Amino acid sequence: MTEIDDPAQAAPNRWYWTAPYVAVVVFALSMLALVGLLQTRELESQRNAVARDVQWAEQTMRLHMQGTEEFLGQLARDLAANALDSDAFQLRANQHIANNGELVNIAWVGDDGNVRWSAPFDTTDWLTGESLSVQQTGVFQRARDDGRVSYGEAYLSPRGVTVLEVYVPIRHGREFRGAIVGVYSIERIVRHLVPGWFAEKYRLALLNANGETLAVNSMLKDLDESIGFEIPLDPPGNGLLLRATAFRTSEQLPQALPTILIIGLSVLVFWSLWMLRTHVQRRVQVEKERDRLFNLSLDMLCVVGIDGTFRRCNPAFERILGYSPAALPGTPMLDIVHREDVAATLEQLRLLAAGHPVKYENRCLCADGSYKWLVWSINPVRTEKLVYAVAHDITGRKAAEEALRAESAFRKAMEDSVMTGLRAIDLSGRIIYVNSAFCRMVGFDEGELIGAEAPFPYWPSEEIPVCARNLELTLAGRAPSSGFEMRIRRKNGERLDARFYLSPLIDLAGRQTGWMASVTDITEPKRVRAALEAAHERFEAVIDGLDAAVFVSDARTDEILFANRAFKAIHGFDAVGRTVRGVAVPQPERGDYRVDPRSLTVGDLPRELFDGELQHPLSGRWYHVREQATRWVDGRVVRMGIATDITDRKQTAEISRQQEERLERTARLITMGEMASTLAHELNQPLAAIANYCAGCVTRMQAGNSKPEDLLAAMQKASFQAERAGKIIRRIREFVKKSEPRRSAVQIADVLDDAIGFAEIDSRRLGIRLIVDVAPGLSPVFADRIMIEQVVLNLVRNGLDAMKDVLPEERTLLVRARDFGPHAVEVAVIDRGHGISEDDRARLFTPFYTTKTEGMGMGLNICRSIIEFHDGRLIVDANPEGGTIFSFTLPTEAASERVARRA
Amino acid sequence: MSESHAAPDQQIFIVDDDEALRDSLVWMLESSGYAVAAFESAEAFLAVYEEAMSGCLVLDVRMPGMSGLELFEELGRQRCTLPVIFITGHGDVPMAVSALKRGAVDFIEKPFGDQDMLRLVEQCLTQERASRSQRRLEADTARRLEHLTQREREVLDLIIVGKLNKQIADVLGISIKTVEVHRARVMEKMGAHSLAELVQHVVTVEPAGTVR
Repeated sequence: MTEIDDPAQAAPNRWYWTAPYVAVVVFALSMLALVGLLQTRELESQRNAVARDVQWAEQTMRLHMQGTEEFLGQLARDLAANALDSDAFQLRANQHIANNGELVNIAWVGDDGNVRWSAPFDTTDWLTGESLSVQQTGVFQRARDDGRVSYGEAYLSPRGVTVLEVYVPIRHGREFRGAIVGVYSIERIVRHLVPGWFAEKYRLALLNANGETLAVNSMLKDLDESIGFEIPLDPPGNGLLLRATAFRTSEQLPQALPTILIIGLSVLVFWSLWMLRTHVQRRVQVEKERDRLFNLSLDMLCVVGIDGTFRRCNPAFERILGYSPAALPGTPMLDIVHREDVAATLEQLRLLAAGHPVKYENRCLCADGSYKWLVWSINPVRTEKLVYAVAHDITGRKAAEEALRAESAFRKAMEDSVMTGLRAIDLSGRIIYVNSAFCRMVGFDEGELIGAEAPFPYWPSEEIPVCARNLELTLAGRAPSSGFEMRIRRKNGERLDARFYLSPLIDLAGRQTGWMASVTDITEPKRVRAALEAAHERFEAVIDGLDAAVFVSDARTDEILFANRAFKAIHGFDAVGRTVRGVAVPQPERGDYRVDPRSLTVGDLPRELFDGELQHPLSGRWYHVREQATRWVDGRVVRMGIATDITDRKQTAEISRQQEERLERTARLITMGEMASTLAHELNQPLAAIANYCAGCVTRMQAGNSKPEDLLAAMQKASFQAERAGKIIRRIREFVKKSEPRRSAVQIADVLDDAIGFAEIDSRRLGIRLIVDVAPGLSPVFADRIMIEQVVLNLVRNGLDAMKDVLPEERTLLVRARDFGPHAVEVAVIDRGHGISEDDRARLFTPFYTTKTEGMGMGLNICRSIIEFHDGRLIVDANPEGGTIFSFTLPTEAASERVARRA
Repeated sequence: MSESHAAPDQQIFIVDDDEALRDSLVWMLESSGYAVAAFESAEAFLAVYEEAMSGCLVLDVRMPGMSGLELFEELGRQRCTLPVIFITGHGDVPMAVSALKRGAVDFIEKPFGDQDMLRLVEQCLTQERASRSQRRLEADTARRLEHLTQREREVLDLIIVGKLNKQIADVLGISIKTVEVHRARVMEKMGAHSLAELVQHVVTVEPAGTVR
């Protein structure tokens, strides 16, 4: 994983790479120097050759021109000597011209400057009689003056030929007879005076003093300007220069060629070197990359010999299996294979030996003793007797596969157990998936649903249009997020309500493949909701129908949040939003609350704040006000109050409570009354039968037609019925015994307190003063507390009732208890009522006798029975102060014990 | 048996669940010469009940199963004309009173004296006899009325409302002679010996309002 490119290693490489280039450069430079030297030499020799040749050419020309001078001198001399006539002149001149190509004309110009004779005869320039031009005259005069051969300047003749004239003076003694003129064609001089090989080698040019080229022998070939030579041509002098320039020889290699070749080859070498370098570098790079890949690879890479031992391993071996890559080479591959996988691995290795690439999975031993799943991919290279192997750690994948299988099973189980039905349709509306919950819901099998198209089998026939429209909306992607509520037909024909929530079905690639619907059976929730709604309506109806005023107010601000109709009717229809304290009367004072509602938090709830009865200060009506701190729907603490007008109820409750108490307290008396009634009823039956039998017997006996056996049978039956009556009475006695009084030691003061407590209610109502006078230190009595209480209460009430019509100031009832002898206690109830007449007093204790309209007439009778049961006496006396005194005695506990012992 | 004034077909039906009381009643009534049939429950009586029964019914108010009062109501629904005497216990007086209001002849409280019972029974039987002969007469009259021709019926109707023969003749547009013939035939067919008897017979069957 570390970078291999360190500079120490790179430097020699660089030197190594530079050397060839340096060598090539040195080689090329030396070669160039050599070539330069050689070429310089050659040039030198060429120049020498040119100089020699030019000198030779000049010499040739000079010789030719000197010859012509001599010929012309001869003519001049002959002419001077008059040894020459015109014809001879013509002959000799034409002959000379014919021999010397460079000559164009030969003429004799008289001393007057006019042409006398001219050769060749067909010439058009030097016509006889023509006079010399000014220029020619100059040269002519110089020749006459000097008496010597004189050359004129080269000039362009009217015929377009550059000519050079030579004037040879004719002297006869001292007499000047003109001059012989020879006209050279410059061009011809150049062309004809040098031999052919020269013309082939050089370009020969004649230049005048001004450097202008007058004539050249050839214009055709390329010149080598570097090889040239100039030499003055004298005669004629006048600055004429002869210049020779070597032609470039075609067969000769251009001078630059070797240089070019050297440079070109060097470049080629450089280029090839560069290419080589690039290639090698690339190879090195690739190798490095391969090495890095080998080292970096997450998969294990190794080279294994044909003998099955590791040759080379990458670091992944250490990472995955824990073996050092350095330690493994030499180890047989099979050593690290799991024992159970050895056979399968060997099988694969055999295939490998046969030259087939193989791929297999096995478990391999790690250095720490654990095993890992690996997938091997091995390629044999038979020629190298090696195999290249790649191993990928698939332990994770195996685990993941395992996990996936578990997950899949879990998912399946979850799908099967989930209560929500799932149904997927593709984009064309065909069902592609249903879960078991859905199948359960609709009652169809999965097989019946998968692939089904609209109308689906679970659509109820009466709602197909609705269902079809919902499906259309779904497929159009416009299904509401709240889902559809649809009715479903189960296979057995039942209907149920369901809610479909739809969401797009997206595959792994992110494309939508359909729509998934989650289906919930809402039959029950719907029913529940309906029930809830109904309950809410009922609640409202009930709350509003209440006579009681109900309100809910914020505990802190006292703002009314809710008030029912009764509350609004009493305190104003704009009550909601105002404060309770502002609108409602009566209200409990702050101090009346058990806790201050403003300090309550939600955690303290619910808490009763107040429960009591309040009187409206103005109307005097009574309200039962109950307030409770509770949690409002929005979570804040509120005070909920219910105020019920209990004015009427209070009154009736008072009365009914008294009745209730009376009823309760006389329960045991009533039981006794019922007992008497039952006794009577039960006894009626046998008694009536006995009477009938007897009457029948009497009748028959009177008629005298009775058979004794008939009468006997009837009499037997009558006696049997008498026995039956006896049994009934016995049964009743047993019952009475069971409900015998439970006597114990009782403080008479306690008994009186309880009894008076009840009676006080009546006494207040009637405005009667009740005075209890109990002597201190009374002994406890042995009595049934309840029964005695009943007796006292009964007597007190009788007394109270007796005083209804008495003047208010006289309405006093005294209950007095005191010792009655050493072994008894006497209780007297003394009223100031209407009293009892003598007649009444005699019948007072007769059952069913009463002076009260609502009475049963049982009271006093039973009271006396109770007291007598307790071994006491109940007596009635007239009160000397008006009214009646009822008094009874009870034995003390000690006295009773003595009696019991005696018994 | 000597004291009984019952018609031979009259019978006293006793329904009481108490075996002793039932048996003693049978004994007592038979001693006085009545034909008595006893049943231990209302259901048992209903099982044998038929319309032709004649006599009177002695019912115990309180019985397990169908009570005496319920049986009384059931018999009322079946248009039973037997007079009913209720036997009540000590606490059943209000119940008996309500039964009385619904048409029972009387009630008698247990324990009762034999004379009271016998008196009530005799009273019932007499009443039953009277109403039975009355019903028989009515049935007879109704049957006779059906035998009248249309014209005779018209004539009868007019006779009943007190029209004279002449007036009848005018109303029906027939001669007095013919009316007389019809009249004689009506009297014959209805078995009436006088005009008063005829009218009385017809009116008991067809109360005045229904007469045309």
